[in-house]
Amino acid sequence: MAEAARVPVGAVMVVGGGIAGLQAALDLAESGFYVYLVERSPSIGGMMARLDKTFPTNDCAMCILSPKLVECGRHLNIEVLTHSELVDLRGQPGDFTAVVRTAPRYVDPEKCTGCGDCEKECPVRVPNEYEGYLSQRRAIYRPFPQAFPNAYSIEKSSVPLCQAACPSGVHAQGYVALLAAGKYREAVALIKRDTPFPAICGRVCNHPCEANCKRGLVDEPVAIAALKRFLGDWEAATGEPIVPDPAPPNGKKVAVVGGGPAGLSCAFYLALRGYGVTVYEAAERPGGMMVLGIPAYRLPREVLDTEIEALRRLGVEIRCGVRVGEDITVEDLRRAGYDAYYLAVGAHGAARLGIPGEHLEGVISGVEFLRRVNLGQPVAVGERVAVIGGGNVAMDAARSALRLGAREVWVLYRRSRNEMPAAPWEREAAEAEGVRFEYLIAPLEVLGGDRVVGLRCQRMRLGAPDASGRRRPEPIPGQQLEMPFDTVIQAVGQAPHFAQLASSFGVPVDSRGWMKADVLTGATEVPGVFAGGDAVTGPRTLIEAIAAGKRAAESIHRYLEGRDLHEGRQLDPVPLVVGEVPRGIPRAPRARMPELPVAERVRSFAEVDRGLDEEAARAEAARCLACGVCASCYECERVCRAEAVRHQDRERVREIRVGAVVLCPGFDVLDARGLEEYGLGKYPDVVTSVQFERILSASGPYEGHVRRPSDGRVPRRIAFVQCVGSRDVRRGRTYCSAVCCMYAIKEAVIAKEHVGDLETTIFYMDMRAYGKDFEQYYRRAREEYGVRFVPAKVQRVTQGADGSLKVRFAPEEGEVTEEEFDLVVLSVGMAPEEGARRLAERLGIQLDEDGFPVSPGRDPVATSRPGVFVCGPFAGPKDIPETVVEASAAAAAAGAILAPARGQLVREKEYPPERPVEHDPPRIGVFVCHCGINIGGVVDVPQVAEYARSLPGVVYAEHNLYTCSQDTQQRIKELIAEYALNRVVVASCSPRTHEALFQETIREAGLNPHLFQMANIRDQCSWVHMAQPEQATAKAKDLVRMAVARAALLRPLREVSVPVTPSVLVIGGGPAGMTAALEVARQGFEVHLVEQRAELGGHLRQLGWTADGSDAEELCRHLVREVESNARIRVYLNSQVGRVEGFVGNFRSLIRDHRGHTREVEHGAIIVATGAVPASTDEYLCGSHPRVITQLELERRLRAGELDARRVVFIGCVGSREEGRPYCSRVCCIQTVKCALKLLEGDGRREVYLLYRDVRTYGLHEEAYRRARERGMVCIRYQEGSKPEVRAEEDALLVRCYDPILGHSIELEADLVVLGTGLDPAPGNRQLAQLLKVPLNQDGFFLEAHVKLRPVDFATDGVFVAGTAHAPKLLPEVIAQAKAAAARAVTVVSRTHIRAGGVVTTVNEARCTGCGTCESICQFGAIKVDPERQVARVEPALCKGCGACVAGCRCGAATLQGFTEEQIMAEVAAL
Amino acid sequence: MVGEEKLRRSASFDPEFKWEVSARPGGEHLKTCFACGVCTAGCPVAEIDPAYNPRRIIRMVILGMRQQVLSSEMIWLCSTCYTCYAHCPQDVRFTEIMKVLREMAVEEGYVHSSFLECISRVDRLSESLRRQMLMEILPHRGEGVEIEERDLLTRALRNLEDR
Repeated sequence: MAEAARVPVGAVMVVGGGIAGLQAALDLAESGFYVYLVERSPSIGGMMARLDKTFPTNDCAMCILSPKLVECGRHLNIEVLTHSELVDLRGQPGDFTAVVRTAPRYVDPEKCTGCGDCEKECPVRVPNEYEGYLSQRRAIYRPFPQAFPNAYSIEKSSVPLCQAACPSGVHAQGYVALLAAGKYREAVALIKRDTPFPAICGRVCNHPCEANCKRGLVDEPVAIAALKRFLGDWEAATGEPIVPDPAPPNGKKVAVVGGGPAGLSCAFYLALRGYGVTVYEAAERPGGMMVLGIPAYRLPREVLDTEIEALRRLGVEIRCGVRVGEDITVEDLRRAGYDAYYLAVGAHGAARLGIPGEHLEGVISGVEFLRRVNLGQPVAVGERVAVIGGGNVAMDAARSALRLGAREVWVLYRRSRNEMPAAPWEREAAEAEGVRFEYLIAPLEVLGGDRVVGLRCQRMRLGAPDASGRRRPEPIPGQQLEMPFDTVIQAVGQAPHFAQLASSFGVPVDSRGWMKADVLTGATEVPGVFAGGDAVTGPRTLIEAIAAGKRAAESIHRYLEGRDLHEGRQLDPVPLVVGEVPRGIPRAPRARMPELPVAERVRSFAEVDRGLDEEAARAEAARCLACGVCASCYECERVCRAEAVRHQDRERVREIRVGAVVLCPGFDVLDARGLEEYGLGKYPDVVTSVQFERILSASGPYEGHVRRPSDGRVPRRIAFVQCVGSRDVRRGRTYCSAVCCMYAIKEAVIAKEHVGDLETTIFYMDMRAYGKDFEQYYRRAREEYGVRFVPAKVQRVTQGADGSLKVRFAPEEGEVTEEEFDLVVLSVGMAPEEGARRLAERLGIQLDEDGFPVSPGRDPVATSRPGVFVCGPFAGPKDIPETVVEASAAAAAAGAILAPARGQLVREKEYPPERPVEHDPPRIGVFVCHCGINIGGVVDVPQVAEYARSLPGVVYAEHNLYTCSQDTQQRIKELIAEYALNRVVVASCSPRTHEALFQETIREAGLNPHLFQMANIRDQCSWVHMAQPEQATAKAKDLVRMAVARAALLRPLREVSVPVTPSVLVIGGGPAGMTAALEVARQGFEVHLVEQRAELGGHLRQLGWTADGSDAEELCRHLVREVESNARIRVYLNSQVGRVEGFVGNFRSLIRDHRGHTREVEHGAIIVATGAVPASTDEYLCGSHPRVITQLELERRLRAGELDARRVVFIGCVGSREEGRPYCSRVCCIQTVKCALKLLEGDGRREVYLLYRDVRTYGLHEEAYRRARERGMVCIRYQEGSKPEVRAEEDALLVRCYDPILGHSIELEADLVVLGTGLDPAPGNRQLAQLLKVPLNQDGFFLEAHVKLRPVDFATDGVFVAGTAHAPKLLPEVIAQAKAAAARAVTVVSRTHIRAGGVVTTVNEARCTGCGTCESICQFGAIKVDPERQVARVEPALCKGCGACVAGCRCGAATLQGFTEEQIMAEVAAL
Repeated sequence: MVGEEKLRRSASFDPEFKWEVSARPGGEHLKTCFACGVCTAGCPVAEIDPAYNPRRIIRMVILGMRQQVLSSEMIWLCSTCYTCYAHCPQDVRFTEIMKVLREMAVEEGYVHSSFLECISRVDRLSESLRRQMLMEILPHRGEGVEIEERDLLTRALRNLEDR
């Protein structure tokens, strides 16, 4: 069928796992769509997870968020992709291919149990971003305890710079971190993954790690080599080499030719893999250049011997004094049955200068000289020694010659000091010991008869750079000199010496004589023969030789296993990510090893550097900046019992087909460090509001004790600085961040609750308490809590000598003031999330100049790309409820285009069959929750658990940090099985928020969900008895005992399945009702739209323009047209809802028109959208003077062109924010600005004044306010107590008000006075509320189920609210909320069935007398007396389980299931 | 302000004043002021003389109190340190506005044009004086310098005379 291809993909991608993402995902998943929830961080939860309490109800943010996290995390049709980013989107609406890149977590979330063992072992501490950097966390971490997924995650920013610089990739940051933590054994073991020789490398490695060390950008690099040496010496001191257990012998044999660093390293790593290794070494002792080239004063022989001895203990056979090719032939080796060979014979030949006299007695090569010295062979050193050359061999030869008794040692070098290849520290040591250096000099001839007597030399100068980039030395004509010497050591390079050996193995050499082998793998042309080290590369460093040997071991292993030598390996250097240099690190010089005094040095070969002691080493290790974050020390891997750690994790890219995309990546807080006048980052006691949330939080860095970061003292005075980076056109954002005023009030109030005599002051410009119940909260903060509000912008914050912070500001009246505070909180604004901005650009989403998506048309959740929707603060600054509303609206928008694919990809949850436990004796499990410190900080939780164990029927009890966390849910299920539990009691918080979660858990474990009981020991014990921990604990025990007694008598309850009527009743035909109706219809469901007036449109008909200045009439016409032409919407004009019966999914309502005609309709859900009405007033001569009018009247006149006023005075807050109408109507300020702009349009110079209390042009509306001022609107603040006065004088209208800035009253002559009168709730609300059995708030607006997270739901299932019936709001907000209500209603009507019952009343017919009392009591109409049998019958689907009938039943026939008399009595008796 | 009339009537305001000021270079952003007071809080002159109040001056201009503003000695007190300018969230550029007001005061005859000339000479003199005083102590910058301001001023003035 051709049509089939047009069916969209029934899946949606939601990008961003904050509260917006959670809500959108849940709404979509509940409406029959599969959801991919893409989150960049390790956990979903977003900013809300970091907040302490929420305004205006002071609910704990985490407490209300956590159930959502769990619900989302465990939802069968939501796939959470953490560490993930949407990187590309192809296709069109209905059929997108989304490309998602998932960064490695390095921990398998399926295996990780969240036990935290890894975290304890991790030696890396980094600032904790979740805690606002006020505390530290480990490199392996979980952002917060309730995180989902409840799995750890490792932060790796890059390969640590030191490790990346090391040719052998030694895990320097790792062992440094382990050393700092005192874990020496683990540190040594870590080093040995990459070099067998910690003590040797710690002494003589050229340590490129240090040159690369990021600490060097702060002050000096960490003394990494010295630390490694400390560890190597520590290992030696233990007397037992630390090596991993080798693999069992595999029966294969490898011959290593050459016992230097390359050969020995290869032998070591092969032996660990179970190979039998024989090393053939030509010299009498093993070590190669380590012993033959390096003098003992740098590398004591016992250190060398100890580390080589470790190889022997591993089973490596080292045969010294055996020259392969001479003492034993290659044929001999082959006959001995070796499976592979490694040729690492070094570069022991000496290069010569080729000048006359080189053969004279007294001339010796540096290589030969050092070999003799190091093997203790006789070597004659004269009085005056010349060392020719500038490399490390020259330094070693010179310093050795000095120690052998030479009186004068000269180093002759043909370039300058700067070009010298020797390590600077070597040269400095030589200088200190008295070696003399002569630069820019080249020997021309060795003078003498048969013995050396001197050198004839040429003075040089530096010419042009050569191929090596160094300036080439060239002779200065005519400048030759002769110098007397009796010994000449030529240290001018090393040469190959193994031509014979190479050819007998058949390994070719290059033109310079070095063996040809693959540098990465070490493979030569000859199968089974590998080569490496100096013999292949020419003379290089020790660590490069070790690296070659280690690589060869891997290659030989692969070769003998028949695997590819190259796969997954590369020599290319790891890309270095230096990143930002952290600020504020105190300078600390690096540790220096003590040295043997020079006088002692030059007389012996005793070691010069004496090593760091333990204290110095640990202090030095602590200087590491942990630039890679994770140090790759593998401690987490070692201790993880679940084997969940995967350090080798790689990024993955996935293509996912979805029909729509919802973007809600959230926001960044503005980085206030740029606003230097506030001192953030400079003074520790200046914190951001986000940090302060953490300071207040019980789970925060100070565990809920309000302290100052600098000294931990409890502050007495806290200042809140508003508009930090907001409403600032020059150094921040022009817009208002919409939430700061309220969160500052909340923080001030909560802080005062924490600290008894705390003084809090909020410095603000306009207090924007514009949301539902916000104004009342603001008033309570002022009047009940004593929070002080100062209308002034803070100019700067400075610190006094005593550490107190001085806040400078100009009050509106009086002099400039500087006040002292202990702590300053900067209310930082919201900025578009940086990554999201890039994402939008990649996806082709058009952004405005502030970085917010441009929404086409009037759809607040649409973007410029069809099929891609936005919500939350990414779409503009906003608070949590509006974010949740928009999220549901975005879900509706996505659902509208995907409706045909509903159900296509979703899966159904299957529960295990219920275990029949009804007749079993109770086996109760009790789980007592610490709730972080919420409970555990007061109640002795372990003691309560211990007590629970002693109660009758309890077979198991334990206590959990968070009983609601994902891992505990899993644990409860396991324990139910393990202990055959048949009742579960949780002692934690409120059943209101958490009962459903635990019921779901035990259901998944095969128990009936009603076999569950909760004891609220948080609200009822730890919270209310915070100061009496003992009594709180005793009470907690009492509550647990009661819960257990009751649990023993619990019985399984059954639910019934009721079909759902797939249609929705929408009450109210204004913009909210019409939009909701259209959205429901677009998703494929029938709508009954009831409007009491004769036409659709509602309040919108009275508006001229919307807040953005576009035509409201046009919008209204458009909506009406769409509603009227939609076949799924049936409109009832002049009608009202007369009666509502039924319950969620199955309502029956009576619609009555003005002629009295009625009609009954069936529907599954209800949306209340009855709107609000403009308030009227008689203040300021309104109604009695023709030129004092309301805003609506002004709009009408403006549109009609009837306005001739030149001088217009607006007065705000008329009758609002005071007794009678205590709330803020939210829309008036913005309407005023909108009208003012219309008045100031064109060139007729009108005078426009605004008399305001606060200008509440919140969020992006700030721009219109700025524009209005720019066009000439004059704004004067008035106080609640000194309102303006309006009087009429003959034909003049005079407005008088006090201007605090001027310090005078002023009198304005006006042609027109316009009053912002606000909105009143619709008069019919009370009646409708009774009809629907839903509540109103104290102001008469409909009260939602939860102001933060259920902003469009009612407590009554299946009934939703939208628009100004809920609270005053602007048109785009009305539209968003209408869409949200539609989305929520669709989650009901898209289901085929709804489960009802459970906790309902049953009637014992034998006892019932049919008196009918219960029927009259039940307000839900759930009980009726059967007229025939004269007994009461209950409709379980209607019964709300309120129990009123039970209380009223005189004969004891009615019983509420789950609350039977015997259960209640048992509970009471237990007390 | 004791004794002054406490009520201003809009009849005495000149609504054109704010437009005139903002039409001049430097005055463009005058009207976006939202009276936060940062200019005043940071002003070193206001610290010495609390009657000097940049926020109030802007308000007076916006309300159209032309005569009161242009005749006021306040507009001559600005030290042009630009602190207000640097911190203003609405980019009002008060320092520039002061220059505009001074020009207007001259043009409209509130002060004699020689007064403006005088003021700029005072400005130049104080700049030179500062330089001279600095030159006196600069050679000692490597040492612990202790100065007696009066003495320094005398020497600086003498240097100026000598030139």
